[in-house]
Amino acid sequence: MTDATGSGEKRSSPVRSPQDAAAGLFLLGLAGLALWQTTELAMGTLRSFGPGMLPRALAVILGGAGIALIASSFLKDGSTLERWSIRGPVFILGSILLFAFTIRNFGLVVAGPLAMIAGAYASPEARFKETAIFAVVLTAVCIVLFNVLLRLPIPILKLP
Amino acid sequence: MKFLAKLAFAAAALAAGSVSAQTYPAKPVTMIVPFAAGGPTDVIARIVGEHMSRTLGQQIVIENVAGAGGTTGTTRAAQAANDGYTIMMGHMGTHGAAPALYPNLRYDPTKDFEPIGLAAGTPILIVAKKAFPANDLKSFTDHVKANADKLNLAHAGVGSVSHSTGILLGSMIGAKPTMVPYTGTGPALNDLVSGQVDFMTDQIVNVAEQIRAGTIRAYAIATPTRSPALPDVPTTTEAGLPQYQVSAWNAMFAPKGTSADAVAKLNDALRKALADEATRKRLLDLGAVLPSADEQTPAWLGAFVAKEVERWNPVLKAAR
Amino acid sequence: MDLISNLELGFSVALSFNNIALCFIGCLVGTLIGVLPGVGPIATIAMLLPITFGIDPTGALIMLAGIYYGAQYGGSTTAILVNIPGEATSVVTVLDGHQMAKQGRPGVALGMAAIASFFAGTVATLVIAALGAPLTKLAQLFGPAEYFSLMVMGLVFAMVLARGSLVKAFAMIVMGLLLSTIGTDLETGEPRLTFGIENLSDGIEFAVLAMGVFGFAEIIRNLENPEARDVVRGSIGRLLPNKEDFKQAALPIVRGTGIGAALGILPGNGAVLGPFASYSIEKKLAKDPRRFGRGAIEGVAGPEAANNAGAQTAFIPLLTLGIPPNAVMALMVGAMTIHGIIPGPQVMTKNPQLFWGMIASMWIGNLMLLIINLPLVGLWARLLKVPYRLLFPAILLFCCIGIYSINNSVEQVIMTAFFGFFGYALIKFGFEPAPMLLGFVLGKLMEEKLRQALILSRGNFMTFVERPVSGGLLLVAVVLVVAALLPAIRKSREEVFTE
Repeated sequence: MTDATGSGEKRSSPVRSPQDAAAGLFLLGLAGLALWQTTELAMGTLRSFGPGMLPRALAVILGGAGIALIASSFLKDGSTLERWSIRGPVFILGSILLFAFTIRNFGLVVAGPLAMIAGAYASPEARFKETAIFAVVLTAVCIVLFNVLLRLPIPILKLP
Repeated sequence: MKFLAKLAFAAAALAAGSVSAQTYPAKPVTMIVPFAAGGPTDVIARIVGEHMSRTLGQQIVIENVAGAGGTTGTTRAAQAANDGYTIMMGHMGTHGAAPALYPNLRYDPTKDFEPIGLAAGTPILIVAKKAFPANDLKSFTDHVKANADKLNLAHAGVGSVSHSTGILLGSMIGAKPTMVPYTGTGPALNDLVSGQVDFMTDQIVNVAEQIRAGTIRAYAIATPTRSPALPDVPTTTEAGLPQYQVSAWNAMFAPKGTSADAVAKLNDALRKALADEATRKRLLDLGAVLPSADEQTPAWLGAFVAKEVERWNPVLKAAR
Repeated sequence: MDLISNLELGFSVALSFNNIALCFIGCLVGTLIGVLPGVGPIATIAMLLPITFGIDPTGALIMLAGIYYGAQYGGSTTAILVNIPGEATSVVTVLDGHQMAKQGRPGVALGMAAIASFFAGTVATLVIAALGAPLTKLAQLFGPAEYFSLMVMGLVFAMVLARGSLVKAFAMIVMGLLLSTIGTDLETGEPRLTFGIENLSDGIEFAVLAMGVFGFAEIIRNLENPEARDVVRGSIGRLLPNKEDFKQAALPIVRGTGIGAALGILPGNGAVLGPFASYSIEKKLAKDPRRFGRGAIEGVAGPEAANNAGAQTAFIPLLTLGIPPNAVMALMVGAMTIHGIIPGPQVMTKNPQLFWGMIASMWIGNLMLLIINLPLVGLWARLLKVPYRLLFPAILLFCCIGIYSINNSVEQVIMTAFFGFFGYALIKFGFEPAPMLLGFVLGKLMEEKLRQALILSRGNFMTFVERPVSGGLLLVAVVLVVAALLPAIRKSREEVFTE
């Protein structure tokens, strides 16, 4: 799923809209996942819904939309698949996870700059010194803002 | 993800465990409230917590960790460091009804906590829509028994106080009305006022003003004595359903293994809060019932929790 | 007239020095938390409650109310500047507001949002004062069946929100509905689609989903697309709307106010529908609907007016019935009870000072917000000149703290990262996230109301048609579908021909 087949330039393939085809497969996959996860839930009857009725019905409709998209990708010309970048998602999502795993254990003083510096490297233009200074200043601002002014119970510093 | 969560907890325990052994409390105490802010338990926690902060000389910081009928926050409290700096405000649901309602519960109310003390209870009332065709509790129960298949009992979601107490009422009357689930007290009460549903049971603080205004009617209050907030509403004993005795109690707990010293200090601060005139008045204005002196000990609370778990278990399992 | 003497009483309360100061503080804090992505009024009001212990109840509630509607103002700032909707009601503002900012018109968008909100707030305050009580009775006609039909109508609106492929928009709505079923089943308490993750047992938090698919996914996309990277290229244009802008926005503001105010009165959080409905109507009425989604000022003015009007009239069920229509109002109930005033149908007669004082302060608060926000427009607009390589890590940090503060939960931060990736995938497959968010918001209410209605009618589907209000709403929905589908069918036919 993470790799792009950006070879839609040639019109030799019967798929005339690769993006729609991939989107349709994506929907089908999600619908399948939802159906699989709800197999154990009672459907109930139309008169008295069980917990599984709506999720399963919606999953079927979602799958139907997926099939419609795949079908139309053979009939109508559309966009090619865009290339997926690696750097952005890895650093952005990674820095969020870093924040998540450090906030409760070490506090905002550690988690804040860590997440910001790691996140900054999602862009090739990142400069360490500039980002580090900015991160420290902003973390201080955040502590004043969230802990002092808004009184939210966010851990500031926990030393091991 | 579970592994990482465990890792995080282990690290957190390590980090918190190393706080030097100064006299307790040396820093702010976090009190987990396992419900959204603004609800009855949250309000009681904040009123009591405010006075306790003054006694302890350290701020009690309320942390709302809502979810799954209060069990998410309670699980977190059970797994928190037992250094006395994390405590919680539990209630009838999290420490009484939850074991029967949630088969995969990750804590045991009787084993995973050090009881600190009972804070306040809010009495349960039996209320019905304005047009309900009964003038007293006796004719109410007769009507419910005779028309159970036509009547609708509203509740604020599986695991809520109104859900558990509603099931208890049904089982005591010997009727199984249709249960209509709502997401919270507000929407349920709204449909009771507008007559879409027929009756419900809920905490006094949620329904008192509606009863006074006459938009819904009250049949009985499930406490031994009448409430000064609603002196006209008879008790269930007076009205002929004496076995229906139930209150949404709120009590403080610390994680298992919290030092006796910390528990004693917290209990002392709680007692002082409950003895304070202004705090008492605030709680009584809500219609709350305050514990008597002998009900304020940790030991009493421990025994009480065990009794509550045993009481709810058969009732709620039968209804599942 | 009663109304005038009542308002006189209200203003005499609200205009005391203390209460003006409290109202100002509330509005300021509200603006602040509104601007900070993720930090919502709920967490803040909860934490500020203890501070209000020392104040008299009227003053305390004036301040807390200020935080609430201040946050609505501030929320649109974030939506316009960085494309992150903090709450369901600002999803729509993102669509055209952020486009305007990108075109170098952030000042016009922000100014128009503030002015539209002020107008809506003023009208809504008058509506509450004059018609609060009778409207409450009307709103009581809405039972579960009526709400369900209203939500169906809302979903039809969502189709109009779509840009591009109708099939893809439809799929996104269904996806939103499916996501909304995640969590504990209402009736049985069984976990659904939670993948064994305990944190999902109450479903996905709105801010988690919105911040993931809008905030984080947008950052990733901006980074791989250097031309779009610096939010505003070139100079920032005028800071305030001019005559031409007002001419375009005037009618949308009036319509938005009406729609928002009407939906806000419903005690089941109908206010969330307001901005969506307003946007759909403006798009339908516009001479050139293609401008929508590309920086149309009507797409900011109308929904913002609807949003603020709904936020204000949402006080009606609370003040006249004592029943909170949404989570923030539930917190206001908590605040009132802490102060010894238990909200109920009698607040108006028992505490006229509080009731009318609060209503008068709402208008004062709206005026203050205008005064606070207009000078800030220039500052906010300049913020966009910060190089993107510094701006996006800052957004990242604010979002992380904001998400964490919702429920003090690490798991929700992790979940947001997941939805960031999910949103990135959606962009790559050419899906629009806005209809998905609407589906998500409506889905929860819709399933609840559908099942309640069916339980109450003992499984009889005719209940939706037989009840007059519900039947009427469904009829409107059907008409809308037909109206929406006819041109689409014709258009696709044309496309086939041109091929």
